[in-house]
Amino acid sequence: MTALLSIRDLTVSYRGDGREVPALRGVSLEIEAGERLAIIGESGSGKSTLALAIAGLLARGARIGGAIEWAMPNLQMPHSFAPPSVLPDISPTRGEISSSVAGTSFSTSMIGESGNEKAISPLVGEMSGRTEGGAVERRPLHLGSAVPRLGRDIGFVFQDPSSSLDPVMPVGKQIAEVALTHLGLSWPQAYAHAKTLLERVRLPDPDASMRAYPHQLSGGQKQRVAIAAAIAAGPKLLIADEATSALDTIVQAEIVSLIRRLVAEDGMTLLFISHDIALAAELAERIAVFRYGELLELGTTAQIVNAPRHAYTRALLDAHLGLDAGPLRQAGAPA
Amino acid sequence: MSLLAVSGLTKRYRRGGGTVAAVDGVAFAIEPGETLALAGPSGSGKSTIARLVLRLTEPDAGTIQFEGADFRSLGGSALRARRARLQMVFQDPLAAFNPRATVARVLDDPLRIHGIASRTERPRRIAALLERVGLGADLAPRAIHEISGGQRQRVAIARAIATKPSLIVLDEAVSALDVSVRGRILDLLLDLQATERIAYLFISHDLGVVRAVAHRLVILDAGRVAESGDARAVIGNPQSAIGRALVAAAPRLNRTTAP
Ligand SMILES: Nc1ncnc2c1ncn2[C@@H]1O[C@H](COP(=O)(O)OP(=O)(O)OP(=O)(O)O)[C@@H](O)[C@H]1O
Ligand SMILES: [Mg+2]
Repeated sequence: MTALLSIRDLTVSYRGDGREVPALRGVSLEIEAGERLAIIGESGSGKSTLALAIAGLLARGARIGGAIEWAMPNLQMPHSFAPPSVLPDISPTRGEISSSVAGTSFSTSMIGESGNEKAISPLVGEMSGRTEGGAVERRPLHLGSAVPRLGRDIGFVFQDPSSSLDPVMPVGKQIAEVALTHLGLSWPQAYAHAKTLLERVRLPDPDASMRAYPHQLSGGQKQRVAIAAAIAAGPKLLIADEATSALDTIVQAEIVSLIRRLVAEDGMTLLFISHDIALAAELAERIAVFRYGELLELGTTAQIVNAPRHAYTRALLDAHLGLDAGPLRQAGAPA
Repeated sequence: MSLLAVSGLTKRYRRGGGTVAAVDGVAFAIEPGETLALAGPSGSGKSTIARLVLRLTEPDAGTIQFEGADFRSLGGSALRARRARLQMVFQDPLAAFNPRATVARVLDDPLRIHGIASRTERPRRIAALLERVGLGADLAPRAIHEISGGQRQRVAIARAIATKPSLIVLDEAVSALDVSVRGRILDLLLDLQATERIAYLFISHDLGVVRAVAHRLVILDAGRVAESGDARAVIGNPQSAIGRALVAAAPRLNRTTAP
């Protein structure tokens, strides 16, 4: 396997309330070409920051150190990128800073509410993905001379599909525009390409769907459209940041199998970001576990699930409530 | 007699030219101290049922019996008294509270409105409520928007138990929380149920969570009951198509080593 990109000693901090809030602390990892890599962690662990840094989407206020080196053919020189027209509000607010409850059976000391000094406040830790007017200044952290372009080389799927779709444009046209911008197609070609993509993401009645506006689609359908737009230019790397977290379990499973199929068909590399370790394990070949902005461990899915090295990973596994878990409460009639 | 019994519960909404039945002839009962889960895909009517039970929305048809009274015909002080016995916790407590209100204010309201404690007694009651849900009294002066999501959910639970309810409706109350925080909140709910004998109407699309906390389970599909029964039995051997789909879709860890 060869690396698609190498991240070396990546450090990102955001400025909030006049202080510097670290979001990533010296992260190094390689993403292999063609692999499905999951990044998992809880609120404030820095996983979205990593995704945004790789995609070149970090906000102006972010301070960045370290390097991201790409081994993609046909990259363009810097400053030629086109920022996306709409940027979502990236502000995970899950989780809890601190509190204490003694002796509970679900809990473990390694995760969650421990009030750890190193904890990055989920209220401020990952909030800075947004800038005024949706314009984003690209951070020149790619040390090589060539940088990948979002949309062409990298496809990005966000948690909330509405945030990346234009509410007043038919979805077919939105997907066609991506193809037009990056593939040098004529408009009829781009439009035909968009329809093929809607078929590939299994939207019902692609002809009618081409003319639909986002508000006329369900959450799962909107996410299918967002995925179609993300892969429209044939990117090498697909980043899905909590792309199924807002969906119900059934739709989530459908979107996960859609992503798996598209990644396989197009030979894409997948970076799948999730707070759900079981979901990550179903999709990814390797899993990287993040906490408080640090990469705790990285291994094959089997390794992470069956022989975690870090106690925190074990705690995350134990906190999973599966359908095969032992009883967590006394069975039988209520008291 | 059941604590809560609904039957024929129906609610229609206008959509496009016609109407859709968000809830369509639903019946179930909850016994004192019991957790009944409502599960189902998005749009199956779970939240609508929660709002109907809480009388935040009026049904088009059906009956709601709560603590032996016809809940729909209650009004005035009788309704207010019953409302104190029936509380709620939603997914996003930030949306439920004024974000600038302090924790103390959020907990003071129910104590005052339902005449549970005198003005001088209330600060002590608030401290006791915070302690009961695993929070320090030092949180009282903080604004709701200044505390974390898990802490807010604890405050929401503290507010719900302030009026000594017999039933709490929880609509996706742990869905937005980190798994570890979720575990602790579920522990708190189980502990409250064991000590105060509170019943829960527990709404979730996550069968793993349902299986961990619920005694019985009702699976909804398009506003109707698809199947119901003992929670573990239904999840272990679902009979309806939607029940099978929900079970199949739940992410599995497949650990080979015992946890
Ligand atoms: N105020 C309303 N006006 C119109 N339609 C509504 C309203 N509230 C709910 N509905 C419709 O009723 C149906 C049931 O919605 P409901 O919110 O109860 O589902 P749910 O099971 O809670 O879904 P979710 O898992 O997404 O929360 C849906 O078709 C919804 O669009
Ligand atoms: Mg709902």
